Amino acid sequence: MAAVITPAIEEYAGGTIAREQVGLWRDGFRRLRRNRLALVALIYLTILFLVAIVAIFWTPYNPATILPNTLTFLPPSAQHLLGTDDLGRDLLSRMMQGAQISLIVGVGTSAIVLTVGVVVGLIAGYFRGWIDGVISVFINIFYGIPGILIAIILYLVLGKGLGNIMIAISATAWMDMARLVRGQAFSIREREYIEAARASGARSGKILFGHILPNALGPIIVQATFVIPIAILTEAFLSYLGLGIPSPLASWGSIASEGYTALPLEPFMMLWPAIALSITLLAFNFLGDGLRDAFDPRQRR
Amino acid sequence: MLTRGTLIYIAQRLALIAFTLVAVSFLVFITVHSLPGSAFESERVHGKALQLLLHEYGLDRPVLVQYWSFLTNAIRGNLGVSFQIRGLPITPLVMRELSVSAELGGTALLITIGLGTTFGVLAALRQNTWVDYTLTSIAVVGYSVPSFVLAGLGVLIFSYWLPTVTNGVISYPAIWTGSYGTLVELSLPAIILGFYTSGQVTRITRAAMLEVLQQDYIRTARAKGLKSRVVTVRHALRNALIPVISILGPLVISIITGSVIIETIFGIPGLGKEFVESITAADYNITVAVFTVYALLIGIANLIVDLLYTVVDPRIRY
Repeated sequence: MAAVITPAIEEYAGGTIAREQVGLWRDGFRRLRRNRLALVALIYLTILFLVAIVAIFWTPYNPATILPNTLTFLPPSAQHLLGTDDLGRDLLSRMMQGAQISLIVGVGTSAIVLTVGVVVGLIAGYFRGWIDGVISVFINIFYGIPGILIAIILYLVLGKGLGNIMIAISATAWMDMARLVRGQAFSIREREYIEAARASGARSGKILFGHILPNALGPIIVQATFVIPIAILTEAFLSYLGLGIPSPLASWGSIASEGYTALPLEPFMMLWPAIALSITLLAFNFLGDGLRDAFDPRQRR
Repeated sequence: MLTRGTLIYIAQRLALIAFTLVAVSFLVFITVHSLPGSAFESERVHGKALQLLLHEYGLDRPVLVQYWSFLTNAIRGNLGVSFQIRGLPITPLVMRELSVSAELGGTALLITIGLGTTFGVLAALRQNTWVDYTLTSIAVVGYSVPSFVLAGLGVLIFSYWLPTVTNGVISYPAIWTGSYGTLVELSLPAIILGFYTSGQVTRITRAAMLEVLQQDYIRTARAKGLKSRVVTVRHALRNALIPVISILGPLVISIITGSVIIETIFGIPGLGKEFVESITAADYNITVAVFTVYALLIGIANLIVDLLYTVVDPRIRY
């Protein structure tokens, strides 16, 4: 376990040793920069984001169009860098759209989880009493129930669509966030500076979002980062099972599923989404680990 | 060991499990019954015939009444009947599938723990060498590569690239012949399922082992002149395994999640495949039944883990 690096500048002028004042963010990013794996992950993810943004305006071919005069299961070539799929669609274009969908689902779910989890957790942890009781009982009932089972049921009830898949995955994922924020709020509200804020007449809203939330931000950011790979994986699972993104849209999960049935003919179609998914999940996990070490040193595993 | 306090604790936990089951099954019941369409949609029955059919299965009653009859029957061990295969009782169906899933999941759990602890201990003993780096990398790959990707690659390797080596034993897709599969039929799905979760075990074992190896009593044991193998196994490993037991609960949940996918891919007639099929076929009764069985399994698994904890670490008491 590496020591926590606290930037210190020793100034001998006047015989005093002054410590440089750094905020949470600068200190955190300084520590993140030293973590080479997290940095590589961050670079990869930046490129992936750029690819997803490019895919909004331009893909080599239309990902949903069955190209005329094109053979199915073409191996990679100059015309089709990643080959073509079972219907003769360009795989590179479909993979680019898949990146877009994965990132939208990942980041979108994380945003929903962040909003709902933080608000519910803060309310439960700060006000305690019966509100906390109701919320805690509800969360504890679902503790340990695999999120994917709930997601499958909810997604079918809500109907197909990108927004609904995010809601279905958030339905259980927010609970872990709420549990974390509740615990943080529980301990922070006992600190003296909260008492001072209350004594100086600050209202509950101000104390919650102005004092408690900023002091719990480290673990919250880390948790929100770990929600992204879970959401991407769940979406891929659902699409793989044929219960995910509706058909002409390409998701890495659905490409992999179509590729699986075509394995004897063409291994590439399964291979591309497999590689892309694995590296992306790996990158988010490394980034999460790096962020945890940087912003939340006490939580190190 | 079984003191009065422990028994009271077990009773409390069982009551909590019962409460959770009722609450979860209620919420799932209400949710699936709000799905558009009915289980008989595909049969193209309309008007009077549909009404009769709905009445026969009690589906024309208010949802709360339906739930109440589900609950009272479930307590007596009757989980209702299937809509798709008209009137097929669900309880024996679920029990048979549970045995298949338990066999797959149990094998996967053994593989996970065996592989994970071995890798973790080896990595800790050879800290910061290529052995450590290789094993921890395998662990990271393990929990980052989705199980359906591993399944695809596994099938690709064993049935296309190496068909002569395996003599076509693992067919595509592996077809499950009986309720109790042979070891060969089990091997690929179970290894893939187990490998996925073994990464977490490796990570935890390695960290725990490194911490334990720095303790004073390990130094004492070495100073006494004990062989290093004895120190590693008897003194260090025993204490390093306590944190591993603490993640057994989450591990069981991961394996159940993974089994839903693996069973669907390999066509293994277990609970996971039934769950996916029942929900796409709007066979609600089966969906609710399988879900409730899963919740029961997880509750009991967590209870067993907590009790195991007291056995391994006598300092913990309930």
